Amino acid sequence: MRTLGTVARVWFDRVTRRSLAVTGLVGAAAVLAGCAKDAPQDTWQPAGDNSRDIQNLQWPVFAIAGVVLVIVVAAVGWCVFRYRDTGQAIPEQTHGRPALEIGLTVLPALILIGVAVPTVGTIMALSQTDDTECVVNITGQQWWWEIDYPVQDGCGGIDQPIVTAGQLVIPEDTNVLMRGTSRDVIHSFWVPRINGKRDVVPGRVQTLRLEADDPGIYAGQCAEFCGLSHANMRMEIMALSPADFETWKANQTAPYEPPEDGTQAADGEAVFIQQCVRCHQVDGLVDDNGVPQIAHPEDQVYSGAAPNLSHLMSRNTFAGASWDLLTPTCRENVWEASPDAFGERYLTGVTEDCLNSVDLREWLRNAPEKKPMYADQEQLGPTDGLYRGMPYLALSEDQIDDVIAYLLELD
Amino acid sequence: MIPTGSRLLFGATVLATIAAVAYGISVGGSLGTVGLISAAIALAILAGINAYVRDSDVSSMDSTALTDSPAARPAPPASNWPMVGALGAMLVVVGAVTYPVVFAFGLIALLAATVEWMIAAWSERASADRGFNTGIRQRFANPAEFPVLAALVAAIIVYSFSRIMLFLSKTGGPVAFGLVAALVLAAGFVVAFRPQVRNATVSAVAGIAVLGLVAGGVAAALAGEREMHPHDTTSDLAADGECDNAEETEVDEHASQTVGAKANIQGEIILHEDGTLVARSLGIGGSSDTMTVVSSNTTNVRFRNDTDEERRLVLNLGERNAVDEETGDTIADEVVPVQRCTQLVADGGSQLLTFSIARSSAAAETPYTFTVPGVDGQAVEVVVP
Repeated sequence: MRTLGTVARVWFDRVTRRSLAVTGLVGAAAVLAGCAKDAPQDTWQPAGDNSRDIQNLQWPVFAIAGVVLVIVVAAVGWCVFRYRDTGQAIPEQTHGRPALEIGLTVLPALILIGVAVPTVGTIMALSQTDDTECVVNITGQQWWWEIDYPVQDGCGGIDQPIVTAGQLVIPEDTNVLMRGTSRDVIHSFWVPRINGKRDVVPGRVQTLRLEADDPGIYAGQCAEFCGLSHANMRMEIMALSPADFETWKANQTAPYEPPEDGTQAADGEAVFIQQCVRCHQVDGLVDDNGVPQIAHPEDQVYSGAAPNLSHLMSRNTFAGASWDLLTPTCRENVWEASPDAFGERYLTGVTEDCLNSVDLREWLRNAPEKKPMYADQEQLGPTDGLYRGMPYLALSEDQIDDVIAYLLELD
Repeated sequence: MIPTGSRLLFGATVLATIAAVAYGISVGGSLGTVGLISAAIALAILAGINAYVRDSDVSSMDSTALTDSPAARPAPPASNWPMVGALGAMLVVVGAVTYPVVFAFGLIALLAATVEWMIAAWSERASADRGFNTGIRQRFANPAEFPVLAALVAAIIVYSFSRIMLFLSKTGGPVAFGLVAALVLAAGFVVAFRPQVRNATVSAVAGIAVLGLVAGGVAAALAGEREMHPHDTTSDLAADGECDNAEETEVDEHASQTVGAKANIQGEIILHEDGTLVARSLGIGGSSDTMTVVSSNTTNVRFRNDTDEERRLVLNLGERNAVDEETGDTIADEVVPVQRCTQLVADGGSQLLTFSIARSSAAAETPYTFTVPGVDGQAVEVVVP
């Protein structure tokens, strides 16, 4: 019969073995996750001058830190093994080795200085603003990004502001300065292949340099926990050739074209005016009497803003870039495009054939069910009845069809 | 055999029980009956304990008990911490249903009493030497007690001081505390130059001074604060639609001229020496006659006055119907401008204007603009996407 001690030892060995196995598996999974070939948010694949500066800094620092780690671990391991308790007598105790102590103080200091010099240089380079060629305002709120282009001579000249959401369009090979802020809580703008993270804080203006070498899509993610749908607060930077960027600008400032009378889109426009324009602006939209329809999200939403849906179908994501407006095939067509072909494919926008009506329909049917948001009227006491996110609108299926037909016209 | 002391308690228990029955039958009140039954239960417990320890009597034949029994040991000194703990518990209970601050004070008292009582109990059992026990308690507890006590006394003094200052008139305050400061200085000189003054005398004088300060603070707190004139701010100027006033107002004379949040400005509005008004935006090179700001967002703009006259910057956001101040109703046929403005800024000076515009400028009947009263024909358009 086994003693209690034997039972305990067997149990402990089993638990230890199991813990080691689980730890090993989790660690291996974490390491292998970094090997994903199609990971679009990869800080190790810089696609612009700024992210390349970071890359050029982090590799040598990583190497130095790695060498230090190996030396320290090896020294500790050797000491543990060499001086393990084998029943030997306690050796003579000594105090003080000035040469060793000074050496072990000076050496780390020199290493840190060696790391600090290029680090400070990179920080200074990344905070430069005097070579700006284009300025964009990026404003975070739960749980989407608003992007607007102020009136300026930069960006090839902008004489009326452009406002969009979720996708920041920039000209390739151009120094773009982001002026970031937030309307509600702290968010963090992070598109790893373009630059590092930049927190955006209510009441403050933070700047970040953005530059992309080639046309393409660069994915990003809010990097500061900001509430219920933080994980669904995504963004993309779309880099276009200068000519394509001019085309995009022209499209964004094109006047509103109302749908033809008697069409399903016209019915959708009526539903939009009735239900959506409380929060969502469509520039140039007027009602049957010619009265401009101006959104007043400050009366509905805690942040005081909702995405401007002018030219919605020129973007290919919606709801904080959480879902694609394009079907998977059409999306792949844009994402996989070569730099030369990218602009043309992106500027095609969302056609009826390519519309991802499944997700859009689900969104219109019940937005809070699709994306977690504070939209329960009974729980809005802390915000004085203002929503955080889009509420349930109780649209009928026919109304949803009409609204989708209308949104398709917003190209 | 039941000891004598226990007999008394058992007798009292029986009496209380009989009284409870008699009271319940004759008078019929539940309160008295419950009280007497409670007394009977308490007496019964005491009687039981007393009987168990044999009235704590020591046999006269037991010589070792005279030295070894607990009763032979010197009793520990009286402790106030149980009382403080009880007070804290009471405040916790009362505070839970009244004010959070009472609850917080109760909790602090309860925690302090618990810790102090534990330390006292531990030190009293550290050895048979009471002096050593006292010393070890002090070594352990004083490093925490002294800073806490000092902070508490300082807080009381500062709070009393502030109550007195708020009570005294605007001129009386400086005079009174000028005198107090002179007295403190004089006392310091006396102590410094006459070392023969006894410590006890200095302590007594300081104690009386602190007591006087606290008493004055309590009296001042009860009497209330002096009447203070609330100065208008630029918000009042804007609310009254008087931002266009180029003359100096109370707002400019008294309110704070602080320029804050310099690191977070969206841009500058500059009134040049030649009277031109231009905008410079963060990151956008050169000057412009427009400034784009984000909607529904707190925006800081710095106004710089390079002229040789005092000027204020006004942000014009259209008009609204006036509101009857008494009834709060909107007056349909009277409009007032919707504005934000700075104070008058001296020549060469600058000041921050903080604002938030909810609606797109597309919604405005007239463009949003920055203007400077007294400077005609100059405006910077504010564009809100």
